[in-house]
Amino acid sequence: MAQLRQHYKEFEKVETVIAVLGPGSPEAFATFWRDNGLPFIGLPDPRHAVLKLYGQEVKLFRLGRMPAQVLVDKNGMARFVHYGHDMADIPSTEEVLGLIASLEDRGHEDNAQRGEGS
Amino acid sequence: MDIKTKAPDFELPDFTGARFRLADFRGKANVLLVFNRGFA
Repeated sequence: MAQLRQHYKEFEKVETVIAVLGPGSPEAFATFWRDNGLPFIGLPDPRHAVLKLYGQEVKLFRLGRMPAQVLVDKNGMARFVHYGHDMADIPSTEEVLGLIASLEDRGHEDNAQRGEGS
Repeated sequence: MDIKTKAPDFELPDFTGARFRLADFRGKANVLLVFNRGFA
């Protein structure tokens, strides 16, 4: 979370919104956001509906829910999916930003092929 | 879930009560969904 906060402006530059989901209550989210000064969207999912929809793993002997990240592009397609195997198994922000940059490049190429863009 | 498949749409209120719908970002922004263990 600290890494994402540190690189938040870079995500903004590449038109990427960060939304953090978890099983906690809105009050728990609000406290954590306030205490850590987080700029992202925080989405409490106390019924676990979206967490299940996206297949976030639960490992009973490893203290609960494993981290996961899904990058959804502007067409609504999942372009990167990472399911962590332990709490520290989180992709680096550099890796995710690099992937977004490659999507943007591909988008520009597509527009050029269609005769659009600059 | 697999890459290059349609991300399932969903709608949830954020912790301030504002509505968040994934599909609202279509054509406007990428969305990085970060699934956490919670903040209890």
